[in-house]
Amino acid sequence: MRALPLLAPVHVLILGVIVLPAFYVVWLSLNASSFGRAPVFVGLQNYIQVLTDPAFRAALLNTVLLVVLAVHAEMAIGLGMALLFASGLPFRRFLLVTVLAPYAVSEVTAVVMWRFLFDPDAGPVTLALRALHLPTLDWSFTPSHALTLIGLLTIWLHLPFTFIIIYAARLAIPGELHEAARVDGASRWQIFRRVTLPLLAPAILIALLFRYIFAFRLFSEAWLLTGGGPARSTEVVAIYLYQEAFTFNAFGPAAATAWIMVAVSLLLAAGYVYLLRRQVAADAR
Amino acid sequence: MTDHSRFRLSRRALLAAGGATMLGGHAARADGKTLNVLSHKVHQTVLGTGDGDLMKDWRKANNADIAFTTFDSNPLQDRLFREASLAETEFGVGYLIDNRPTSQIAALFEPLQPRQDKSPIEDFADIAPGLVRGMTIDGKLIGIPVRHATQGLFYNEALLEEAGITAPPTTLEELVAQAKKTSFTSKAGTPVVGMVLASDLAVFPVMFARAFGGDFISADFKLVPNPAAMESGLETLRAMFEAGSLPRSYATTKNDDQVTWLQQGRAAFTVLPFARFAQLNDAGQSKYPGRIKAMEFPVAAALKGKTPMAAVVEAWAMAIPKNAKDKDLAWSFIREVSSKRVTLGMAINGNGPVRVSTYADPALQAKNPVAAVEARALANARGAFPPFPEAARAQATFLEEVQLAVLGRKPVKEAVAAIVTRVKPMMPA
Repeated sequence: MRALPLLAPVHVLILGVIVLPAFYVVWLSLNASSFGRAPVFVGLQNYIQVLTDPAFRAALLNTVLLVVLAVHAEMAIGLGMALLFASGLPFRRFLLVTVLAPYAVSEVTAVVMWRFLFDPDAGPVTLALRALHLPTLDWSFTPSHALTLIGLLTIWLHLPFTFIIIYAARLAIPGELHEAARVDGASRWQIFRRVTLPLLAPAILIALLFRYIFAFRLFSEAWLLTGGGPARSTEVVAIYLYQEAFTFNAFGPAAATAWIMVAVSLLLAAGYVYLLRRQVAADAR
Repeated sequence: MTDHSRFRLSRRALLAAGGATMLGGHAARADGKTLNVLSHKVHQTVLGTGDGDLMKDWRKANNADIAFTTFDSNPLQDRLFREASLAETEFGVGYLIDNRPTSQIAALFEPLQPRQDKSPIEDFADIAPGLVRGMTIDGKLIGIPVRHATQGLFYNEALLEEAGITAPPTTLEELVAQAKKTSFTSKAGTPVVGMVLASDLAVFPVMFARAFGGDFISADFKLVPNPAAMESGLETLRAMFEAGSLPRSYATTKNDDQVTWLQQGRAAFTVLPFARFAQLNDAGQSKYPGRIKAMEFPVAAALKGKTPMAAVVEAWAMAIPKNAKDKDLAWSFIREVSSKRVTLGMAINGNGPVRVSTYADPALQAKNPVAAVEARALANARGAFPPFPEAARAQATFLEEVQLAVLGRKPVKEAVAAIVTRVKPMMPA
């Protein structure tokens, strides 16, 4: 009890930086407000307006598709790479730096770089694909191609995060366990399935959980690459929110969108949270 | 052997030196004032630096410094409105775009007529009356026009010659034909598109609609006053896209791309503010210095000689937030920037001058070969649409339908009908 005042600065910080702004956003979401206009209480009207807006539903669908596909692709590639690195690659340190490098690149720089590389008329990647008679990504015209490019870019940018978590967990698995399995006659697949994967599961769950929540905020990649176009067809929820708040200055619907984003991302991650809790409970027993 | 004692820096001496510096600094700041200005980078640039600083006399006379905080247009307006909504702001002057101040927004800014009556701006009547009207909301003058960006048609003379075209277009139909002819691979081996336009600005479809006598929202708030003209404008853009005269990346093309594409010889025509003339012909940036020309955007053949082209003009004005601390210093700055001398200096530095008399100045005419054509275009120019609370949302909706029509995902007639249906509820009562 006497130690309580010592913890107060942390509570004050959390209260000031997270709790109070969150309540303010709740209040905003229940009011109609803009610059130079006094807020007017409208109840749940902003939530209804956002949820019934076809543009929001399209943005939500795009976001869910991108998040689910990108996060799981990232997980599969990250896991494969972690196992490859752990199996003993030549030039491991150099390769490690190469794999981690995208995480050091700012999102804006990355998008500018990718825009240049995949320029539909003069991009080096486009020209190379054309020279090899391979199909190119017509991302500035075809919405599905644009979403594919956004997905690839987001995987490239965030793969290091997933990879490093799984790789660290893989290195923490004692070699004796694999050795014992081999002595017992287990095949490589059985070792992976029965030893490696269960021991990596907590790290995979943590990585998935974080990535689900972060990926749902996906903004720069889509905004800087396509601006949500053509005709709002590649818009994601964060762009919808940005437009409401900073282009249309409609703070009520923007705040409501923010809370809907929180709810949906938690809903998407709920399965993994449940698995994580079960894991923690099992460990405690 | 070095005598360290002579140069030894004790903690006491360090503290004393630090304290003296702080006090000295404080004293120096206490002597002068700082006017914080919230603007676009271009507004700061045209005021010049060093020996070319157009405000150096003002700084000296007022013993004041000017601290600019610059943003791109949309974030700038957002920040300005946020600052003006606070109890008090550090910013004395903010630069305002003419299609933003609704009644509610205008109420955040100081009415300037009383200041103008008390301490007038030099030859105020010389400032384009249309631009002054644009900054008069609910009968109150809230901003002093400082810059206009009137849209003109730019073309690469060298590429036109390569395509066998001897003279620029005089009608919209000729423009379309020439854009088609210049969609080729140039002698330099560069794939060229006839015309490059950004798809995220209402300016361009509005220009095409006006070339047929139409509009998006007229100054008296009539939504699509001439649907047939709007359809003709969009049909033209659609046909150009289909013919490859607009780039396939039309939907993701930005305003900056227009500049670089023209500079690199990747496009033969574009629509940009006349103020871009110097940049497009800059030998350090452009592959075609001196070969990129500008002219008024042409009207359709049916209107030639009957209706002048109403080019889109965007104007900026200087405003004082009602909650600013030192409004007298802010007004003094606005008066100086609006003077004939500074207006001319800024125009020579590439600013679209708001004073009619500035265009007649020989110094400007010598420096800016398109001054005369810009003055002609400005005479009939008007904003893309008037300000109203849902204007930004209306513009986004309009652009969404335009993109669908130009890319061929919706018949033009349906897109125009959808613009009317969807934008109508957003219009002021």
